[in-house]
Amino acid sequence: MTTRKLFQIALKDLRLIFRDRSALVLMLLAPFLLTLGMGAITGRFSGSDTNSGVSDIPVALVNQDGAQLGDALVEMFTSADLDALLAPALLTDPAAARAAVDNDEYAAAILIPAGFTASIIPSPAQSAPPHPVQVEFYANPTRPTSAGILKAILEAFLGRVEVSRIAGQVTVSRLLEDGIISADQAVQVGMSAAEEMAQSTDAGSTIRLVTTMEGGGAVAFDILAYMAPGMALMFLMFTVTYGARSLLVENRQGTLARMLISPTTSTQVLGGKVLGIFLTAITQLLILIGGTSLLFRLQWGNPLAVVVLVLAAAFAATGWGMIIAAFLKTPGQIASVGSAVMLIFGLLGGSFFDITMLPKWVQTLSKVSPNAWGMEGFLDLARGGGMAVVRTPVIALLIMGALLFIAASFWLSRRGLARQ
Amino acid sequence: MNRILAIFRKDTLLRFTSPIEWAFFLILPIFFTFLLGGGTGSSSDQRIHFFVVDQADSPLSAALITELERSSAVRPSVMSYEEAISEFNERQISAVLILPPRFTIETLQAGGVEVELRQQPNNVRAFAIQQGVNTALTRVSSAVDIAAASTSRAELITPFPSPDQKQAFFNAALEDAYAQLKQAPQRLAEVSAGTEDKIQYDPNANSAAGQMITWVFIPLIGLSAMFAMERQLGTLRRVLVTPTSKATYLAGTVLGQVLTAVLQMVILVGFGALVLKLKWANAPAATALIIVTSALAAGALGTMLGTFVKTEAQGNGLSIMIGMVMAMMGGCWYPIELFPAVIRSAAQALPTYWSMQGMLDILVRGQGVRGVLLESALLLGFALVFFIIGVARFKYE
Repeated sequence: MTTRKLFQIALKDLRLIFRDRSALVLMLLAPFLLTLGMGAITGRFSGSDTNSGVSDIPVALVNQDGAQLGDALVEMFTSADLDALLAPALLTDPAAARAAVDNDEYAAAILIPAGFTASIIPSPAQSAPPHPVQVEFYANPTRPTSAGILKAILEAFLGRVEVSRIAGQVTVSRLLEDGIISADQAVQVGMSAAEEMAQSTDAGSTIRLVTTMEGGGAVAFDILAYMAPGMALMFLMFTVTYGARSLLVENRQGTLARMLISPTTSTQVLGGKVLGIFLTAITQLLILIGGTSLLFRLQWGNPLAVVVLVLAAAFAATGWGMIIAAFLKTPGQIASVGSAVMLIFGLLGGSFFDITMLPKWVQTLSKVSPNAWGMEGFLDLARGGGMAVVRTPVIALLIMGALLFIAASFWLSRRGLARQ
Repeated sequence: MNRILAIFRKDTLLRFTSPIEWAFFLILPIFFTFLLGGGTGSSSDQRIHFFVVDQADSPLSAALITELERSSAVRPSVMSYEEAISEFNERQISAVLILPPRFTIETLQAGGVEVELRQQPNNVRAFAIQQGVNTALTRVSSAVDIAAASTSRAELITPFPSPDQKQAFFNAALEDAYAQLKQAPQRLAEVSAGTEDKIQYDPNANSAAGQMITWVFIPLIGLSAMFAMERQLGTLRRVLVTPTSKATYLAGTVLGQVLTAVLQMVILVGFGALVLKLKWANAPAATALIIVTSALAAGALGTMLGTFVKTEAQGNGLSIMIGMVMAMMGGCWYPIELFPAVIRSAAQALPTYWSMQGMLDILVRGQGVRGVLLESALLLGFALVFFIIGVARFKYE
């Protein structure tokens, strides 16, 4: 009988919230749209391999060199290998190229001056070392990431050219010093060594950098596996405060008093309302998980572990909802504070970006939010973990929820809310 | 005018009666701006920190670590494997570089070696660390590659009498290569476009501007909730039976909220300039123009939305959702250049996009009033369109 009453009150609240269209907007539509938006931004839906939407970076090229290295530089930027990443345009006037960058038409302009090749590959007749000629990289300051990528590509090319030049010089100087070649062989040997080095650096460095996201090799990580839980957890806080708000609303409207004069104890009423909030939170998370799995083909991980984590996160979040209801006086206050808490927990918990980018004290502070623990668990599951990887987050969430419930019950009873 | 001022006073008193409203007006925007705008940097070394696990303990690994320490972008700390992986798994660090035991010059001579960079997902710092590590690896490997190539070339011409002499040749060539690489001339001249005083790109400026737009747009779009509340309570009907025209009521409500938003932005700009040392003061007239036109566009959107929503709760919910989605898609949370081309084009239909572009023109490109005229004109255009729709629908209240 007791359990039945609890569930009746809980299901009543569940039905009420799912009939409230404005609540559904923030519970379901908002996290879904934001996940969709973030997926679009990161190029997840365009089939991008890089978990980033950076592609077709517009770059202006002006080649006034007209010799071997200038042509090679242009050829590299217009090659098929970089076709997806870059959108190069060949211009003839440096001033026009700079003006186009100023007008935000390009992320940068690369201006290769006359004499660039001659400054690196001197003519045999030249006695003194040639004066260095610099390539100008005219960057658009409002596109730092794109300009940074272009600069990295350009620096890599110039680095290979410099290494080839030095290879020729070092080879010649060592061979001359050891008497292995004579002075009239120097130019031929130097050119040959430089060309050989250029070809070998094109093939790749002897030190190869392998990027991974977990030990044992590269794992293809779906960026949406980060974004979707982040948004779901952030709007979970809205749901629990909305539910907690209903306690004060019913108190104000008098329906709470009517429930209490029925053969229902205050414990059953309060317990039913808490259960209602808990069930609403679980339902919200499961709908979002199901929806993103079906529509975006998102892999959340081990199903049993996901369900356990959902239950724990909902429990902790419900605790937060109850503590907020226990301390605040009006439904309006709960709504305002709830929105603030939703955004703060979202930020601290890593809903928008990885919190390792924030200072250590902020990362420590984030542990008070169910978002931080939930994100840790969902990320580990998305990387292929099982029940073992969610043990710590689940325990932390259960402890958090239990402590908050105890505090909220104490304070609510002191206030006399739901007292017969 | 007296009626407009009276409506403004009434709305302001209503709004700020609750102390919680101050959280949204000032505390949260300042908190988010401070956190995301780089205000928490306590160390003078702003380079991105990451861990290096040196399992080789060789001259080559020492040379690489020295090269990384010289980097202007990244700052390495050498840790044991267990400590580094533990902190990485707890997401306390963005990336860990693992140098395997065979990371030696001899291994490079023999053919090459792989090193692992373990990165956190969705972390731009990890991406920047990757670039820094690649640059250092290239410098270190280049010297070895040059020495190896020279040695191979020498052996082709005249085979070495013994392995010791070959190694001696290699070592001498390696020393030459290091010396020459160190003295290599700068082949790249970098110039930042459109800025007369060489304003360096400041990612904190991007975050601060984005947060300001987000926290101003959301409450202004929330004007819709205010209209709905007055409609629900019946106070709107009572105001309209007084000798107060609909135009006066609209002007008082909208202008009042816009002025409050302008004041909010001025406070945030002041905070950004004084505490975060952002370059808002470079062009005060341009800053003022963007602030006012952004507030007008957002207020007009809220007005238009207010004629569609039925309840205060609907208005509150929609304002948060629409505000956040528009802020995100407009480039307020992530730089717009990271978006695919299609999304970048679509984002131009949003007022938040033009607000953000105007603020970046001031903060990053160092532009003045002339530089933000286009953005201001477009924002006024948005305001006009939204107001026309809102006023047309309000006529039938």
